[in-house]
Amino acid sequence: MHVHERNPKRTLITILLFALVIVFGWITMKKPRFNYALTPQQTVDMVINHRGCFHPYELEKVLNHKGGDVILIDIRNNFDFAKGHIPGALNITSVNLLNEENIKQLDEWKKNNVKVVFYHDDQLQANGAWMLFRQIGYSNTYVLLGGYRYFASYKDNLKQSEGTCLKGTAKYDFATVAKKSVAGFGDVSTSKPAKKVKVRRKKKEKAASGGC
Amino acid sequence: MGPLIPNDIITGDWNFVIAILIGIAFGFILEASGFSSSRNLAGVFYGYNFVVLRVFFTAVIVAMVGLLYFDYFGWLDLSKIFILPTFLSPMILGGVIMGVGFVMGGFCPGTSFTGIAIGKTDALFFAIGLFLGIFIFGEAYPYFANFYNSGNMGNVTLTDVTGIAAPWFALGFTVIALAAFWVTAEIEKKVRKNMKEYKF
Amino acid sequence: MNRNYLFLTLLMLVLAIGTFFIKKDDVYKNQIKPETLLQVITQPSRYVTTDQVAKRIIEKDPTLELIDVRLPGDFDKFTLPDAINVPLKDIFTDKGQDNLGIEDLNVVFFSNDDIIADQAWVIATRLGYKNMYVMKGGLNCWIETIINPTMPPETASEIEFEQFRFRKAASLYFTGGSTTQPVSVTKAKVKVRRKKKEKAASGGC
Repeated sequence: MHVHERNPKRTLITILLFALVIVFGWITMKKPRFNYALTPQQTVDMVINHRGCFHPYELEKVLNHKGGDVILIDIRNNFDFAKGHIPGALNITSVNLLNEENIKQLDEWKKNNVKVVFYHDDQLQANGAWMLFRQIGYSNTYVLLGGYRYFASYKDNLKQSEGTCLKGTAKYDFATVAKKSVAGFGDVSTSKPAKKVKVRRKKKEKAASGGC
Repeated sequence: MGPLIPNDIITGDWNFVIAILIGIAFGFILEASGFSSSRNLAGVFYGYNFVVLRVFFTAVIVAMVGLLYFDYFGWLDLSKIFILPTFLSPMILGGVIMGVGFVMGGFCPGTSFTGIAIGKTDALFFAIGLFLGIFIFGEAYPYFANFYNSGNMGNVTLTDVTGIAAPWFALGFTVIALAAFWVTAEIEKKVRKNMKEYKF
Repeated sequence: MNRNYLFLTLLMLVLAIGTFFIKKDDVYKNQIKPETLLQVITQPSRYVTTDQVAKRIIEKDPTLELIDVRLPGDFDKFTLPDAINVPLKDIFTDKGQDNLGIEDLNVVFFSNDDIIADQAWVIATRLGYKNMYVMKGGLNCWIETIINPTMPPETASEIEFEQFRFRKAASLYFTGGSTTQPVSVTKAKVKVRRKKKEKAASGGC
C-alpha cells in the first residue's frame, strides 16, 4: 500500500483545507454598498427618451404648495447655496450624496414615493449625479432642466422661456453656417475633408501563444 | 505568470523564479502521490492501481470548482486565464500516441523526471527516449506540419463551444470523477486479490 | 469502505452543486463602483473648451480622438475634422466600445450642446473607460466661438483679444480659408492605433 492510501487522513485534511479556503472567501467577500439597477442599455433608453426630467414650470406648483411630494436638492457647494437657492431646497453638496445619512434619507423618500429633484447651476452639472442615482435604482430622482440659473432669471414666470432651457438641440444648421463663413475664402468644397474616417480600432482579445 | 506579467504588475524577469517554485511544488506533489514509480503509473492500464486516475481527477475537479469560486470571490479573473488553443484531430492523435508511450514506458514526461530524481534507472532510459522523440519530431516536422496545424478552433472552452454554463461541467465532471473513484476502488480490490506480490 | 472517503465524496458534490449559485453577470466586468463614479462625476475636469479642441485639431494632436454622439444623419451633414460617429444609443455596444479606451488617446465627446455628450461620458465612465472629456457647449458653442467668433468690446482685456485673434484664425482654418490645409488633414492621420488589452498569460501544463 502506498503512503497516501495508508493515511487517508492526509487526504481529508487537504480537502478540508480547500473547503476552508472557500468558506473564508465567502465570509470575507465584500458586499458592495450599491449595485447598478439599470444596465447601460436601460440607462441609454432612459436618457434618450428624456425620462426623469423636471421642467421649470412644474416648480410653480411645488413652490405654492410648499413641499408635499417633491423635494428639491441643491447639489452645489454651500457657498453658492448661501448666495441664493430655490426656496425650500435642501443643500447636499454632490460629493456627499452617497454618505450614510443622505442615503438613509433618500431611501425613505424612495419608499414614500417622493420625487427628488437635483439641481445645480445648469442641467449639465446636475446631469452626472442624477444619472448615477437613476442607475443605482433611485427611480424617484429627477433633474431640473435649466438649473438654478434659469430659475434665477425667470422666477416670476417660469413658463415664459421654457425653450431656452431645453438642451440637446442644434441651434444652427451647422453645415450651412460652417459653409457660409467660407464666403470669400476660396473653394467651398474644401470644407468637407472632415468625412475621412480613420481606422483606429481597439485590438481584439489576442490569443497568447504558449504550450506545454 | 498569471495576469501579473502581461499587465506589467511585475517584470518578466520573475518568470524564471516563479517557474522554478511551481516546478518544485509540482515535482513534490508528483513524487508524494507515488508518480515516480512506473508500476504505479502503468497500474491503471492493468487494473491494479488507479492512483493516477485518482490524483488527476482530484486535481481536475478541485481546480475546476476552486476557480469558479475564486472568480466569484474576486480573487482571480477567469477571463484572463490562458487557454490552450484547440486543434481537435491533431490533439486526439497526440493523446493516443502519448497513451501508447505511457503504457509501454510506464511514465509520462513529467513523472520520468521525478523518477530520475529518486534514482530510478527505467526513468533515466525513458527520459533519453523522450529527448530522442523530441529530436525526431523536430526533424520530421515539415512532413506533418499541415496536419499538426489543422482544425484550429482557437482558445475555446467547453462553455464557448457548447453554450452550456460552466457549473454544469463542474458538476458533471465531479460526479464522473467521484463515481470513478468508487468503481476503481472495487476493481483494484478484485485485481489485487489475484496478485501474488505487489511492490513499488 | 472508508468513512473518510464517503465524507470527501459528499463534500466535493456539495461544492460542485454550489457553483450553480455563484453565477454573476460578467457582461460589463470593468464596471466601476457607484462610489467611484460619483467621485469622478463631481469633477469638472472632464470639460474642455471649444478653444482647446480647436487648438488640438489645428496642431494635429495625434492623441486626440473626437467622438460625435449625435445621430448618423446629423453626423453626415456636419461634424468636426476626423471625428468618429458613435451615437449615444450605441455607446455601450461592442462596436461603440471599440472606439473607447485606446491607449494614449484622449476621447472628446461632443454633441449639439454638451448634455448628450455628458450622458455618453457618464455611461462610458461607468463601463470603466478613462481619459475621456466632454466638449463644453458642443457644436452650438463651436459655431459661436470658433466659426463665427464675436469681436470682444474695446474695453476687453488683451487676453480676450488674443483669444479672438486665435478664433478668427481657427475659423479660417476650419472653413477652408487655406486650400492647402484640408489636403494635409486627410493625409495626416493614417496611423492605426490599438488599445493594449489586458493580456491573458501564456503558458502550458
